[in-house]
Amino acid sequence: MIGARLRFGTRHATEFVDLTDRLREEIRDSGLRTGRVYLQSLHTTLGLAVNENEPLLLRDFQALLERIAPAGAGYHHDDFARRVDVPVDEPENGHAHCRQLLLTSSSTLLVEDGDLVLGRWQSVFAVELDGPRQREVAVQLDGDFVRPSREASEALVELELARQLLVDPESVAAPMRRLVEAGGKRLRPKLVQLTAGIGPVNEPLRAAALAAAVELLHNATLIHDDYVDESTHRRGRPTVAAAEGPERAIAVGDYYFAKATRMIAEIGNRDVTSAIAEALEAVCASQIDDVALRGAYPGDRESYLKVVRGKTASLFAAACASGALLSGATPEAVGALRRYGELLGTAFQMVDDMVDFSPSSGKPVGLDIRQRVLSLPLIYAADDREVGPEVRALLAGALGDREVGRVAELVTSSDALGRVRNEANELVEEAVRELEAIELDGLRPILVGLARSAVDRNA
Amino acid sequence: MVQVPERELVRLEGLWSDGLSDAYRAYQEDVSQFEAGAQPKLALAAALIEIGIRLQGLGGRAAPPTVLLMGDLCLARGSRLLADNGPLQVQVAFAEAIQAMSSAAAAEQSVPSTRQLLRRALTR
Repeated sequence: MIGARLRFGTRHATEFVDLTDRLREEIRDSGLRTGRVYLQSLHTTLGLAVNENEPLLLRDFQALLERIAPAGAGYHHDDFARRVDVPVDEPENGHAHCRQLLLTSSSTLLVEDGDLVLGRWQSVFAVELDGPRQREVAVQLDGDFVRPSREASEALVELELARQLLVDPESVAAPMRRLVEAGGKRLRPKLVQLTAGIGPVNEPLRAAALAAAVELLHNATLIHDDYVDESTHRRGRPTVAAAEGPERAIAVGDYYFAKATRMIAEIGNRDVTSAIAEALEAVCASQIDDVALRGAYPGDRESYLKVVRGKTASLFAAACASGALLSGATPEAVGALRRYGELLGTAFQMVDDMVDFSPSSGKPVGLDIRQRVLSLPLIYAADDREVGPEVRALLAGALGDREVGRVAELVTSSDALGRVRNEANELVEEAVRELEAIELDGLRPILVGLARSAVDRNA
Repeated sequence: MVQVPERELVRLEGLWSDGLSDAYRAYQEDVSQFEAGAQPKLALAAALIEIGIRLQGLGGRAAPPTVLLMGDLCLARGSRLLADNGPLQVQVAFAEAIQAMSSAAAAEQSVPSTRQLLRRALTR
């Protein structure tokens, strides 16, 4: 079900406003293929009618209304002395109310093949009876909606991101635009959009707005992270902190943190707002843990998992849950998708750690080691019977190019990368199993494919 | 009287005596129009955001990384408290206030007073 309002102004006391084209546009934009459009006038002197849009006929209707209920014919409603609580600007409009009685205030129209079912001469009118005024007609569209293609959905998010950045002050928009336009996998928005197709409420535009907000929020956290980690490049471009200084980075991060939370709040679904807010808090708390653990580098698997669940997996989980919540999915489906997201996010981070040891990734090998970022391959290598002692000894000292290169070499020569790869794959299969018990409206193969490709960096 | 649930101060205990309690008390005056159960949470949300922005050094010299992260956590927790307890218009007004401060900071203009903006957001 999709709700909307048609707003328009009238210029005459009596006026027939043809809404047919605007309704057709609403139907087209919504993707409704077969179903119904419900219309309701939100005024007591605005009626609805389905009839022929022929100017002389409309004059006949007007004359008929005027004959049946002429203006100034001594209506009780116009005797303000006998009425209570009369507003100061109350017009004498008893005739308009009486005329409205001859029309209707609500109407149901059928939709087939994505268009209104109307006879050759039929048009849909709002009939102004006490103009000129600003008017509003409530519209609800219900039935079978065509699901936008994945390409169309993803294009909607890109458009929404571009639109949001267009209206922001250039001092914040320019650095964020550089980051957004540099690419990124857009996994979180994809998860929002996919899960937003699971429940009975299908609202592609709201899903795109939520997906764009989640991506902006993710990028806002990256801008602060890059300052904290002293990273000079992200997605092949200089970080905001490196290019414009930490002060600008903090301001840009804060601006888009606030903007994204506002966009999410304005979607008007409290459960969605809470889900994302909770995840964001987990991200920030885990970032503190992450930095604290660098003192005991490389740490242990348990601490690593705790940090990753908060820092990466929580936003994946919230992206899945919030899309499902937006679509009105059942609590069971929301819960299963949240777990799917958390497992997928954890697996994704593990594979991301492996990239640090891959010369073909495009990123300098050993960057995470140099920055003492938590990394599961490093934890496993440090535990390895053969290479572990040397890895631990190297990590305990200063990390120059030579030491970083040697640590990377030791990690690659051990079975640490293979163990991490296996563990990530197991988590993905566990995530896929979470989807088995819930109704996914045909989306299961896409979610399964997305999970498997998210941990396959060759895909 | 302080009614802040302890769990809302986890990890931020040290801040309570470092300005957070004073800010909390100041905002208590601005939340009387909300439902009784929500009042302490909204006052704390505003206080956390004010302290978070101060810690980050927004509009001044950037905070060192670890302090920035503490500021980020204050902002995130304040935002979560608002999401769970605040009406939509207050959530939006708070976000607008942070946007106003951060865009001014990014443009190297003088940053409006946090407390003034947040008080206005609570009473809008």
